Amino acid sequence: MHSDFDLHLAADLDDALASLAPAAGEAGRPAAMALAGGTNLIVDLRGRRARPRRLVGIGRLEGLRWLRVDAGGIAMGARTTVTDLLESPALAAAAPALHGAARVFAGQMVRNAATVGGNIACGSPAADLVPPLMALDAEVVLEGPAGTRRVALADFYTGYKADVRAAGELITEIRCPPRPAGSANLFYKLARRQGDAITVVGVAVALEAAAGRCRAARIALGAVAPVPLRARAAEALLAGATLDAPAIARAAESAAAAASPIDDIRATAGYRREMVAVLTRRLLTRAWQAIG
Amino acid sequence: MTTTDRTLAEPAPRDTNVRYNQIGKPLVRTDAPGKVTGRTPYAGDYTMPKMLHAKVVRADLASARLKRIDVTRARALPGVACVLTAADMPDRNIATDIPGQTGRDRLKTDQQVLVRERVRYFGEPLALIAAESRDVAEAAALLVEVELEPIAGVYDPEEALKPGAPIVTAPDNVVATYRIRRGDVEAGFAAADVIVENTYRTQFQEHAFLEPEVGLAWVDENGVVNIRVSTQVIEHFRAVADALGLPHNKVRVLGAMVGGGFGGKEDVTVELYLAILAMHTRRPVRLEYSREDSFVGHGKRHPFKLVYRTGVTRDGRITALDVQALADSGAYVFLSPYVLLYCAVNASGPYRVDNLNVFARAVATNNMFTSAFRGFGGMQACAAYEQQMDEVAGAIGMDRLEFRRRNLLRTGEPMATGFVPPSSIWTEKCADLAWEALGEQTPDDGPVKVGRGIACYQQSYGRLTFLKDTSEAWVGVEIDGTVTVRSGVTDIGAGQASSLAHIAAEILGVTLPNVIVYNSDSQVTPLAGTTTATRALYMTGNAARQAAAALRERLVAVAAEVLGAAPDAIELASNRVAVADDPARGMSFAELVRLCAARGVHRSELAIFRAPFTSPLDPETGQGQAHPDYVYGAHAVEVAVDTETGEVRVLKCIAAHDVGQCINRAAVEGQIEGGTQNGLGYALTEEMLYREGRLVTPSFSEYLMPTAMDMPRVQSIILESRSGIGPFGAKGIGEPALTPVAPAVANAVADAIGARVFEYPITPERVVRAIAGRDRAGAAAGG
Repeated sequence: MHSDFDLHLAADLDDALASLAPAAGEAGRPAAMALAGGTNLIVDLRGRRARPRRLVGIGRLEGLRWLRVDAGGIAMGARTTVTDLLESPALAAAAPALHGAARVFAGQMVRNAATVGGNIACGSPAADLVPPLMALDAEVVLEGPAGTRRVALADFYTGYKADVRAAGELITEIRCPPRPAGSANLFYKLARRQGDAITVVGVAVALEAAAGRCRAARIALGAVAPVPLRARAAEALLAGATLDAPAIARAAESAAAAASPIDDIRATAGYRREMVAVLTRRLLTRAWQAIG
Repeated sequence: MTTTDRTLAEPAPRDTNVRYNQIGKPLVRTDAPGKVTGRTPYAGDYTMPKMLHAKVVRADLASARLKRIDVTRARALPGVACVLTAADMPDRNIATDIPGQTGRDRLKTDQQVLVRERVRYFGEPLALIAAESRDVAEAAALLVEVELEPIAGVYDPEEALKPGAPIVTAPDNVVATYRIRRGDVEAGFAAADVIVENTYRTQFQEHAFLEPEVGLAWVDENGVVNIRVSTQVIEHFRAVADALGLPHNKVRVLGAMVGGGFGGKEDVTVELYLAILAMHTRRPVRLEYSREDSFVGHGKRHPFKLVYRTGVTRDGRITALDVQALADSGAYVFLSPYVLLYCAVNASGPYRVDNLNVFARAVATNNMFTSAFRGFGGMQACAAYEQQMDEVAGAIGMDRLEFRRRNLLRTGEPMATGFVPPSSIWTEKCADLAWEALGEQTPDDGPVKVGRGIACYQQSYGRLTFLKDTSEAWVGVEIDGTVTVRSGVTDIGAGQASSLAHIAAEILGVTLPNVIVYNSDSQVTPLAGTTTATRALYMTGNAARQAAAALRERLVAVAAEVLGAAPDAIELASNRVAVADDPARGMSFAELVRLCAARGVHRSELAIFRAPFTSPLDPETGQGQAHPDYVYGAHAVEVAVDTETGEVRVLKCIAAHDVGQCINRAAVEGQIEGGTQNGLGYALTEEMLYREGRLVTPSFSEYLMPTAMDMPRVQSIILESRSGIGPFGAKGIGEPALTPVAPAVANAVADAIGARVFEYPITPERVVRAIAGRDRAGAAAGG
């Protein structure tokens, strides 16, 4: 690889933030980018699709690699790897959607290197961890020159590979609130093969039930729009309803309408939209059965 | 599990009562320890002092005129040794249409080494760079200034045949045409109760070998250009010499253990660029393709459009078959005519079709050129004819296996070209065993429907007989009783070298570790031809057998005399020589060789094996002999199809092949498992996609081969008719292992969903569309 960037291996978080701080840029090139697992960024560097002037390696920041699942919910450092998620029985019990996404995430070597923060930051519409995290009401903790702030993951993306981060801001944590009793969450990845494939359609759902009715619903979609997104209209249809087959079918159709997919080499837009309906219906049905 | 079945009454296998000590057993291959421990060097592992690193600069349009190429800035970059364009080269071309040592008149459709004026495909080479490091070579490539003027291209073979289409290959884009005619097709259709016509389409497929193209070249003290390269065909030294204007004996190609070929290293790849750069710089030059380079650097499997029209009677007799085949040859001819011929002669498959018409054409486009790939046109034919067999059976309401049974070619019957294969045809036995081994059917689960499919096949082993193929091997014994085999054969991972050791060990009665094979050197080892066309075991194995047998005869004569027994009473086994019915009368094999040496007995033998030599097929009727012989068998699968999402999972996979005779059973199973993986990818996920000739699947992110997660367990049922014309009655398994896999999957999917996807790969989206089409048709019929 013919490199034309500086590489700074950050010693600690302060060092990383200082190194990422906005500097005089070059036209058309970001001043600095954080490098964690590198499973996307290195490929983009090789293909000259990413051309930062500086790479800030955060691979030594062990303080950003932790996972906690307890009564306070699910929380993790941004450098938690996909394999870390996969190896947590507590996560598997509390968040089958997120654990399930980790299980079908790329291949083993990529899972060992890829981080949760990186998967969010790369901005791919097909990022597999994002729909389950959105369905689990995740918040992203950002640290930067102006201090620390929290942003709901559902509000994080502003457009294709664009997000709310200001220059110099780094994702440091991801937090999901605790799930009440009587809740269920699930994820399904539809792809062209079983192992190591880019998602064609990803759907995550989370349901909370009380007294035979749906108290709250979350439906998050991947790979069917410029960004991963919540199907809020579909969620609204379910809140307060009894989830019989017609109600679920209406929500599934609504979720499909929320998608704005494209044709690409993996599938057509029409197929993707149909599959949003199919997968949403199936996941809602299974989740409702699990808690009902 | 494997099953050996030598109990079939018909036909009588040859050598039925012969007991082998080592042949047919699952021995540890001679190449296994080195590979397992990582000690085996591949071509990319070789380096030399003062070595330069090369890079190929390629066109990023598929059809264009090269208006300007300026390498001034690239040459000025520190560390760049040279940047060469067509202007720096002698105006020579590289032959593309006859790999290896033999061949009839060439088609004279050579490729320019570097683009001089006209770019014909995406990725066609424009310039060669040699530099002190790979980084510098990469940086220099970015400094080459290229101005291309787009020219209207043609990207579909049917479009390429229309009047006014851009001409890629003069005069009319047709690069080859074959016809096969038997009987009276019109009368056959007239006699039919039902006529079924369908169109099947296949895709571009990538070989995706583990080891991308790589090599190292240097000019030695004798002025010989030496090229150490990963190749299936060391005998391209002649093509390289011709392209460089050198005498043939001044170019030497040395192979190494090859990390996969599958036909993708059958044509010249990096060796010519290496030779040019090494001659120009007078320094060793290394060139290693990245995966992206490899994807654009070698030809692909031909996409075919295959129109099948079958006439059949209610009682399941095929009365007529008409096949129209159209192949995309891409921008250069390469092996398209031969691939097309394989498709034509196999168009009716392992079936008796008395009234047959085949019309096959290969057409030039500005797509990536297409060339050899395991199965070589024969598998594309099978991908269609086995789907058609199911469609026809369905049309007359007959069981799929029963319909096949009523039409299968039997031993001694003529195939489509009128040629009678000399070996046994055990297709029915293979099909029955494979089907039976599927066992109890997995139940449906809601929208997930389970289906089953079977495909029978016919696939040749050995090259086209009008190519007049030969192969040489040398076998010698050392005075300590060890054995040396020398042969030019390249080992592309299937155990080609190990098989020669196995054969020599069996015949000379030594244990396998006592045999060593020196192979793959075009100027030092006896020339063995290509490792292609399922020919290495058949051709070079026969040569090794001949050499070892001749040597054995001389050794046994001495043993007989010394031991006081008749020569045919002498047995060689386990590194000993003894009288068969009195084993105490004997000596070590080493002792025998020492005695022979003391007497001046010639302790080595060079043998040549010649395949049948024939004339080309009749140009009007396609009648005659095309290949030495054929392999037959069947593949059965069970799949689960999610009828809402279209996802397909392969649950069971049974491969039943009559390989004639296993040499190494473990190696045969390896070929079957690998061929199955290759075929499942072809059926379900793999496709090289081009838009206006531009590759839009440039990496393994987009080009999807089955992973371990996608692979079912593969069960091999290995039958041994001992009727083949290879050593010990062997046939071959390299290509046959792949041939029936994809149509078996297609038939299983169709069985599961009650509709057919007529196009590979069978993607989830195509499955969903087929189901929707079925439902619409059902509604229309019902309404």
